[in-house]
Amino acid sequence: MTAIPPVLVLVLAGGRSDALRALGRIRTASALPYGGKYRVIDFTLSNCVHSGLNRIGILTQYAPLSLHGHIGIGRAWDLDRRDGGIRLLQPYVRQRETNWYRGTADALLQNRNVIEDAQARHILVLSGDLVYKMDYAELIRFHEEHDAALTLVTVIAPSDEPERYGYVHADRTGRVSALEEKPKRSGGGAVSGAIYAFRAKELLDRLRRPGAGPDLVTDVIQPMIAEKARVFAYPHRGYWRDIGTVDSYYESNMDLVRSSPPLNLYDPDWLIYTPSEDRSPAVFGGQAVASQSLVSHGARVEGTVRRSVLFPGVHIGPGAVVEDSIVMHDTRVGPGASLRRAIVDKRVVIGSGAMVGHQGPVAEDVLVTAADARTPAPGLCVIGKGSVIPASTRIGPDALIEIGVSERDFPGREVAAGAVVRPSGRVAAARGATRGPV
Amino acid sequence: MSFVSYAMILAGGLGSRLCILSEKRAKPAVPFGGKYRIIDFALSNCVNSGIYDVGILTQYRPLSLRDHIGIGRPWDLDRKRGGVELLQPFQGWAETDWYRGTADAIYQNWIRVEEREAEHLLVLSGDHVYRMDYRPMIEAHLARGADATVGIAQVPKEEARGFGVVDLDGDDWIRGFFEKPASPPSGNISMGVYVFRTAALHAMLREDSERDTAHDFGRNILPAMVSSGRVLGFRYDGYWQDIGTLDSYYRANLDLLKPDPPFPLEDSRWPIFTPSTEFPPARLGARAEVRASILTHGTIVNGTVERSILFPGAVVEEGATVRDSIVMGETWVGPEAQIHHSILDKRVHVGPRARVGYGSDLTPNRSCPEHLSSGITIVGKETRIPESMTIGRNCRVSANLIEEDFPEGSIPSGGVMERELNVAH
Repeated sequence: MTAIPPVLVLVLAGGRSDALRALGRIRTASALPYGGKYRVIDFTLSNCVHSGLNRIGILTQYAPLSLHGHIGIGRAWDLDRRDGGIRLLQPYVRQRETNWYRGTADALLQNRNVIEDAQARHILVLSGDLVYKMDYAELIRFHEEHDAALTLVTVIAPSDEPERYGYVHADRTGRVSALEEKPKRSGGGAVSGAIYAFRAKELLDRLRRPGAGPDLVTDVIQPMIAEKARVFAYPHRGYWRDIGTVDSYYESNMDLVRSSPPLNLYDPDWLIYTPSEDRSPAVFGGQAVASQSLVSHGARVEGTVRRSVLFPGVHIGPGAVVEDSIVMHDTRVGPGASLRRAIVDKRVVIGSGAMVGHQGPVAEDVLVTAADARTPAPGLCVIGKGSVIPASTRIGPDALIEIGVSERDFPGREVAAGAVVRPSGRVAAARGATRGPV
Repeated sequence: MSFVSYAMILAGGLGSRLCILSEKRAKPAVPFGGKYRIIDFALSNCVNSGIYDVGILTQYRPLSLRDHIGIGRPWDLDRKRGGVELLQPFQGWAETDWYRGTADAIYQNWIRVEEREAEHLLVLSGDHVYRMDYRPMIEAHLARGADATVGIAQVPKEEARGFGVVDLDGDDWIRGFFEKPASPPSGNISMGVYVFRTAALHAMLREDSERDTAHDFGRNILPAMVSSGRVLGFRYDGYWQDIGTLDSYYRANLDLLKPDPPFPLEDSRWPIFTPSTEFPPARLGARAEVRASILTHGTIVNGTVERSILFPGAVVEEGATVRDSIVMGETWVGPEAQIHHSILDKRVHVGPRARVGYGSDLTPNRSCPEHLSSGITIVGKETRIPESMTIGRNCRVSANLIEEDFPEGSIPSGGVMERELNVAH
């Protein structure tokens, strides 16, 4: 095995993603439950340890509690080490100037002492909210061989939403000539995978430049390319998904229950690690019907489950039908209830006979709030953490049930397609105070 | 200290009645209920009862158990004070040797008890499935001033024969203790859960060590204590299952699948801890059918599974059927294979279209009819069953066989499959 040169990994995991609606408000995207038992950041962390990288800093800012609780001391990844291991890097108060992380580059700049102290030759800057398997040792080798100041990983653009990606133009040797952010065009091509290997000195110099802006792409990477620094593209040909929107999150989970999933979680040489829970195995009742699904420990299936992902402790009552849905920890789906194309967060109670996402005649409803149409999620119902859906309620497709909605917040038995139900009598969560795309 | 803070678990058992399941591992290390080993129940009961200082006495094939327990992390037993320690026989002191029996095992490790200066000691068996808070029993033991207190379960009188049977008086003092009696005086049996006053136990162990006995708690220590001291019975009416035989093992596992199981594995107030595997969730394919079954992480089902328990990494391929069976970790059931009333140990490979536990002929097993007569077929670890092979009921197929070891066609009910032994040099 070739010795890997000293590398410090910094994972950006503090971003806030409004496009995740109720799923993203209480946690940063990196901490989103994924694939039945994981959190999204598990992919990045497991990639690190499988690649032999174990000096890792995780930059957090927005709603980090869930992420911090998940990572703990890094035991699940064997990162509770004497040398290296995991450090959580949160913004902190300083004597002179104190600021929240104002952007990805600013977050790195505020942690420049961590980078300096590491005395690493290369800094691998990763995003905690991506789903992919990748050997970073290969990337670092490529980066060294090309004597690159920066190697950025390119992936094939997922077909949808081209405006979410940055297109990379490179010549035949891999030398990058342009990184075009969020172009107004569609179609395939190599886009940046938000995985960067920097020469440490180069990164520090750029971050420290007076007047340097707060964003890693526009204020560091694009200027490097413009100034003809040695920036190379390293193509990643495997599965790669950014799960920053409700739709992309949903599709990526559904990829796992396809007949031949594009992402193999069962490869014994590249298992994805996550802290385990002390739950009993999944129990299927005598009347259970279950196919094309992932089912985790602590789940109990008495009804029907098809093309769905069930997280630990989910109970599906007798006669209930769950199809094309994602159901998170400890949610209870009552007898005879149905869920179709729904994402249900943790500890939700779906009353018996309730029909969520069901295509049927739904009456006009007073609950529609036009202001919340800013991130349309066509067809998918989202139910926020801890909400209670009263028995026999019908909820149309595309509806959003906010976090912590109780039975009395529903004025009637019907919630129209695209409607939003909020908890009444409760102050809306503070917004804007911690904005920052870290 | 008057409360009990140290427990010793007897886990050295050979468990010969579990047939090839315990051929390569001690009985407490036999897999159970999809993701557990039998010892997890006693260990979890200890920590859930607030006892975080545990010694495990091992002798027979301890490797599997040792790997399982490790440094005790799953039970929060990786501690600075207390924790878990495996107590294996050792040499070097005049009086140490292989353990001659359960009582001798504790006596040889008496230094561990002395160091703790505990007035009372909890002694448990590592081969029972139950959830028990030991604290009420300890309280009764202290309140009644007993030399020893024995946990008592109730079974039908005719089933009591295989156990230590006690005779209780009106105040629950034990008046007689009979190990595996031919005609049991009652259905009150010892659960293998004891609290001892340390001094009383020590005196008894010392006396016993000098005599020519089986050095066994059930056969020697308890009967002697009953005749000379104050031994209390503590009645326990929760689920308690001894995993002594293949039938009781099979039954206890399949009990978990009942609509209202007598022993639900999931109970957040009293979790059963075990090291977890890193496998992804159970995956069900497009043609999967799963009913009345238990699936663990890492199982992949593309066929039909009914009234069965699948351990981590077990795979049931398309068109295959698994019914009334226990399939252990990483066993592969090939396309269109049929598994009925069988126990497949770990990493067994069942070739396509093979049938295991086939037919209704219940001829008892040729070599061990006393343990294999109820229709269960058992296949040992890592054996590879050839394509289209048929294996009947009550069969015993040894571990580590390969396709070439099997005869053409079929093994009838009651059959035994072993590789012809080649003596290695």
